Amino acid sequence: MSNNSKKSARDIWVFGDYRNYFQNRVTLQLLARAVDLAPKIDARVCAVVFGNDVDEYIREYIAHGAQKVYVVDHPSLDNYPIETFVKLMEILVDKYSPEIVLIGATSFGREFAPRLAKRLRTGLSADCINLEIDDDGLMVQTAPSFGGNLLAKIVTPETRPQMATVRPGTFQEIPHDDNKKGEVIKTDLPDSLPVERVKVISSVRSQERSQKIEDARVVVCGGRGMGSKKKFKKLFELASILNGEVGATRPVVYSNWVDHDALVGQAGKHVKPQVLFSFGISGAIQHTAAINDAEFIVSVNKNPNAMMMKLADVAIVADANQVCAALIKELKKRIRN
Amino acid sequence: MLNLVTCIKQVPMVSELPWDSKRGTLKREMADGMMNPACKHALEAALLLKNKFSGHITAITMGPPMAEEVLHEAIAMGADRGILLCDPHMAGADTLATSYTLARLIEKECADFDLVLCGCNTTDSETAQVAPQLTEELDVPGVMYVDQFELSDKSLRMQRTVDGFLETLEMELPGLISVSTQQYSPRYASFSGLQEAFNESDIKIYGIKDIGVDPELTGKKGSPTKILDVYSPMANKDNIVLSGSPRNVVEELFKKFDDKIGSAIGKDLKEYE
Amino acid sequence: MDFNPCMKHKIVRKTVREFAEAELGPIAYEIDKDARFPWEVVEKMRPLNFFGLQIPQKYGGAGMDSISYAIVIEEISRVCAAVGLCVTVHNSVGAYPILFFGTEAQKKRYLPPLACGERIGAFCLTESNAGSDAGGVETNAVREGDNYIINGTKIFVTNGGICGTALIFANVETEGIRPDTRVFIIEKDTPGFLVGEIEDLCGMRANPVSSLFLEDCVVPAENILGNSISGLKIGFTALDAGRLGIAAQALGIAQGAFDAAVKYSKERQQFKKPLSSFQTIQNYLADMATEIDAGRLLLYRACSLKDENKPFSAEAAMAKLYCSRVATTVTNQAVQIHGGYGYSKEYDVERFFRDAKVTEIYEGTSEVQRMVISRSILTKLT
Repeated sequence: MSNNSKKSARDIWVFGDYRNYFQNRVTLQLLARAVDLAPKIDARVCAVVFGNDVDEYIREYIAHGAQKVYVVDHPSLDNYPIETFVKLMEILVDKYSPEIVLIGATSFGREFAPRLAKRLRTGLSADCINLEIDDDGLMVQTAPSFGGNLLAKIVTPETRPQMATVRPGTFQEIPHDDNKKGEVIKTDLPDSLPVERVKVISSVRSQERSQKIEDARVVVCGGRGMGSKKKFKKLFELASILNGEVGATRPVVYSNWVDHDALVGQAGKHVKPQVLFSFGISGAIQHTAAINDAEFIVSVNKNPNAMMMKLADVAIVADANQVCAALIKELKKRIRN
Repeated sequence: MLNLVTCIKQVPMVSELPWDSKRGTLKREMADGMMNPACKHALEAALLLKNKFSGHITAITMGPPMAEEVLHEAIAMGADRGILLCDPHMAGADTLATSYTLARLIEKECADFDLVLCGCNTTDSETAQVAPQLTEELDVPGVMYVDQFELSDKSLRMQRTVDGFLETLEMELPGLISVSTQQYSPRYASFSGLQEAFNESDIKIYGIKDIGVDPELTGKKGSPTKILDVYSPMANKDNIVLSGSPRNVVEELFKKFDDKIGSAIGKDLKEYE
Repeated sequence: MDFNPCMKHKIVRKTVREFAEAELGPIAYEIDKDARFPWEVVEKMRPLNFFGLQIPQKYGGAGMDSISYAIVIEEISRVCAAVGLCVTVHNSVGAYPILFFGTEAQKKRYLPPLACGERIGAFCLTESNAGSDAGGVETNAVREGDNYIINGTKIFVTNGGICGTALIFANVETEGIRPDTRVFIIEKDTPGFLVGEIEDLCGMRANPVSSLFLEDCVVPAENILGNSISGLKIGFTALDAGRLGIAAQALGIAQGAFDAAVKYSKERQQFKKPLSSFQTIQNYLADMATEIDAGRLLLYRACSLKDENKPFSAEAAMAKLYCSRVATTVTNQAVQIHGGYGYSKEYDVERFFRDAKVTEIYEGTSEVQRMVISRSILTKLT
């Protein structure tokens, strides 16, 4: 064996958050990214999963790129007791010294990761929308601030492991491949575990409070530029033809042109549609913070220099109401064909 | 008598980001400050507790001298006293260093606290990391993103919705919670409250010596993360401008992007004659 | 002399600005268009002491200094001048005269409901024959036993349509003595006290300005403000204080228009450049900013004198004269900078433009202000 093997191999660990597995693919997405980054620092891709009855997830993770999976499987881990999870992870990290630990930015992840980072006295960046390895072999994390209006490139030069939570949907998972093989390392629940000081009294799947607009593929947003409650209503017709949802800015909601549920903004809903139509909106930061994730933005405004026009992929300088009507007409024509 | 601590951050009050287009950074020094909204909700929750159970609220913040404003605002809303941590050594702190420093203050000035309330995240850095890290540092039970809670005896029962689960949790005080912006809509400070906050208010300003903080563990020195660069995502957009009659612009739009729009709605939008 | 705002003033400004933008901003256009008084916002303002800004805490007010008061009025008016008008008239000429001149019994009785906004105050001096000539008041009060019977019509009463407590200036006729003016405190449920139709005005439309009719209105003698203090004296003192509020209101209107003009000039492009890169526009903005700043300093100087219990009539008149002119000039300029869009109701500036004009007229026209100032100059001992 060469001398190199004496150094612990550099590993990239991905935490397996398997709750809500079918909606929440973030672990698989992170595994894919880890697979991309690993060659640059000569690392292996590992998954870490704690829980109850996790065999199928172990198989999934291997099928999606994990070369190794560290496992602690026990009934008491079923509802994700956080202090226990932090302790287990701390034990594993101390033992195996990974180079990088990636955790999906689910609500759980965004509480679990900082606690762990504090325990390990290392750096952590939150809700990242990109990860790269630079020429010095450091992981460069791109983290948003001010509602995504600002991006920062962050590194953790000294402390280890380098940690980041990553926004779900940032990376693309690798297709499932049953032929992939991986090593599984099971650990028993240690005897000396902290007593959970937070008791989970109940944990039920919430009646999906309608996430319609947050999940919508098309969103039609209107602002004060629409002119009046009556004129604003036309946006519902456009949204209906597009199978989309209607959103509004704060002045519109406060003027009662539309329900408070429709508020798209820092204090309202965040949307990430494939296409966003924005009518008569100037683009205050509280609103743009909630639409930054839209893939394709069409903004219609009489004022060519409104902030919203600069953020858009297509900026249409015209009257919002007239363009809305013209769009409806044109769509009806084309869809009929 | 409940001993409550609220952690508050002053964040820039910006309705438009003042851009330094040369450096591509935010001109933070230019912006006025405001109390971070989630911190305000946490303070409101603390005020309701104080009203119900008779309690004492210490508002604490870490920042430049200007941050003292949020302490006056907190007292105007009903907090009893405020402490500002202000020291050049504390500047440039990431969440690890911030939580370390806040914990030292709480241990010194509010040692027998019942509950620490924080906002779930801030509108500027948005990491949501200080509250969980502070919980670890203080070594007390903690629950994040609490929507609502009730207190009876020394037991706190909390509701929250996380990752699609509606959870009810319970913990014994002393503990820490981070409060979401779902409930606890903050009250406005009255003018008589503001007047009192300036007439006779208990506000202290502390540096690292006052609370026994190791300069290596606070501020930039105590921060394992380093920011390499800050920039706007706007730079990467292709911005196409269309103008003209509504009918013409709509035609143009479809000529260029019918497939983009079509794929989003799952229909073929090509024009067929 | 420290010209920097102290922390308290900074926070007062921030607090009111946040409230005004959140609660009045979204509805300012609509309430002006429909001439609707926003009771729902007034409900929120009551517990925050907006209606008792300078009333001492023992009567339920906030007991603030005059600069804080000016800042509150300015910041409300910057978003919605009509509501700013309601608040300043209520505080300065509705409640303040009672505070300054009232007997202890009157203060105890009338100040608490005013301070908490349960009753809105109004100042009723003007009549069809008595505008700048305040001495021309014709409303009369005839003694009958322990009461007075009051007859007359007051016009252009700010808050008239919603007032709960009105200060009515009337000539008291006593046999054998020349008629003298007194101020009567009259509450709205008093029989014979009638509110006329709301005026249809160019600006300040959300404020219910109306006439008030007194038809054989029976008012107890104990309702004479200060027992027997000369109505003229009360009028002048009240208007001195009122001028500070109106100056603050005018300043707020100017500031709102100015902020909008700055924003617009940065966004709007012509000849492939933003308007703000043209020297003409830069000159306009520079002039506007300087005038607003000068007005603010004049106002705060007068406020300081008042708080130090020094004479401040001339200084208040200067502040009102200057700030109201700044309001009309700056709003005019702001519309100009907006070009055609400035003339459209889609933008706020045209409302500021309409609101500004009356600040040169009410609570003493600019001509009357000059009278006050020149009298002060010419009666100085040299």
